[in-house]
Amino acid sequence: MNIPKIVSDFRAGLASDELLVQTCNACGKPNMWPRYACPHCQSENLGWTRSAGQGSLHSFCVLRQGAPEGFEDDIPYAIGVVKLDEGVQLAVRLQPEGTEDWSAYQCDDRVEFVGKDGARECAVFRKSSD
Amino acid sequence: MTEHWSLHSTAGAANDPVFVGVGELKTGKFPERGFVEALTRVAIQAIKDAGMVPRDIDTILLIPNLHSAADQADLVFSRMVEELGIHGSCKSSFMVHSGGSTSDNAVRTAHGLITAGHAKNVLVLQCERWGSADLNEMITMLSKNGIPGEWELPTGIQFNAIGAMITRRYMYASGSTPEDMASICVTLRKWANLNENAMFYEKPLTIEKILSSRMVADPLHAYECPPMADGACAFVITNTENARKRGISNAVRLAGSGGCVSHYCLSQEPDQAVLGWPLAAERAFNQSGWGPQDADILEIYDSYAAVTAIALEGIGICPKGEGARWFAAGTGDPGGKLPINTNGGLLSAGHTGVGGGTALLVEGIRQLLHRAPAKRQVENCQRAIIGGTGGSYMDAQILLLERTQLGA
Ligand SMILES: [Zn+2]
Repeated sequence: MNIPKIVSDFRAGLASDELLVQTCNACGKPNMWPRYACPHCQSENLGWTRSAGQGSLHSFCVLRQGAPEGFEDDIPYAIGVVKLDEGVQLAVRLQPEGTEDWSAYQCDDRVEFVGKDGARECAVFRKSSD
Repeated sequence: MTEHWSLHSTAGAANDPVFVGVGELKTGKFPERGFVEALTRVAIQAIKDAGMVPRDIDTILLIPNLHSAADQADLVFSRMVEELGIHGSCKSSFMVHSGGSTSDNAVRTAHGLITAGHAKNVLVLQCERWGSADLNEMITMLSKNGIPGEWELPTGIQFNAIGAMITRRYMYASGSTPEDMASICVTLRKWANLNENAMFYEKPLTIEKILSSRMVADPLHAYECPPMADGACAFVITNTENARKRGISNAVRLAGSGGCVSHYCLSQEPDQAVLGWPLAAERAFNQSGWGPQDADILEIYDSYAAVTAIALEGIGICPKGEGARWFAAGTGDPGGKLPINTNGGLLSAGHTGVGGGTALLVEGIRQLLHRAPAKRQVENCQRAIIGGTGGSYMDAQILLLERTQLGA
């Protein structure tokens, strides 16, 4: 399967520990997930901005059983939805604090981007250090 | 105030669509019961309940299954035309799909076809075999449907993770306790204990049992996750003129509907503790001319307890933040002030995929036709609020149904 350019660009960002937010060159608005045309103004002139990686945790869960095929060895793992300060939101993995422990996380916690999740094409976040 | 959209039919008008019959097979694990076999049996049941014969049906709307990609891709809606012996006379057969809210959209589709004159007698048909399918296969399938593969599949998200995130946000926003959340499942189980077709008809459930079950996806315990089940249901809609000719004096009509598609993937939902319900409710009540205080029963999608609590608040049944405590107070129990999910819902009658919402709708129609078994028939039931939602709770769909006298 051909990987669309918006996907490979986003993933290339993750691979170099950059969280990229698609930004419309016509109207200046950020889009997440990246789109083929700007949902605000329909322009196809789309670029990328490096996110500051700061945001708040809207919600999260810790999956302890019932992993999809290929994720069995990851169990347990935490998935969260982060609202970035840039005004867009995305699904991420949450870094445990200690071994398999996510008990310190709460909704609306300030969180920050850590990097790419090993072999997975997704972003990892942790509680903000400040 | 929302823009007013009028329905193009009114109560008693010749073209006003009315529900006249329902059918349902037992929900649970029935590996010996085939897909086409169940569709055939439930179709005949609904057609008979409507006082019709198969040849009366001119349009079949099929609700999708999730147990098999092959069954989904096959043109089963036309196979059913053959199985029912209505080839030639049947004008149209096709599938409608919006996940768990499909039945609501099937009603809108049938309503439009009948009102405009494209159809007279529409059969809406559903069968799911989740309970007999391979569990791991279904989990993987549900990590791919309703989730954007290129963006979110890499996180390892699946259906219980989605339900768990909504539950956590709801508990955080409302201050509901684990006991409050578990009480929702207990109310549903009390209703299932009155429904011989329910998967858990003979099995009681307590808050203690729920909270001591293993953690599947924090904060969801095993008994708070939907049980995958086999099931089949069907209903028949006709127009008022035709119903009168057939001597039908009492039927059920659509007073109004409203919907809101708030996202595709859950990560794009602005507020997981609100979803699309407030907008859908405003639109539905605006169209129907009656409000949440007028309902005699509620049949609201309940694949997770929080989903229903959030819907109750958005529809205006209780104040914001009070949905789970509304259940904990026993308000929706058998004998309570406002019966909810009187078949036991998805959580206790069984989650039949796209069919879970269909089963709730069929139960609402059945209650309004006064054809529920005596032990769970709600007395003098006149108005029902039906709520459905599909995928990652991507939409909120509301149907406002009312019993109507046709004067035949
Ligand atoms: Zn733009």
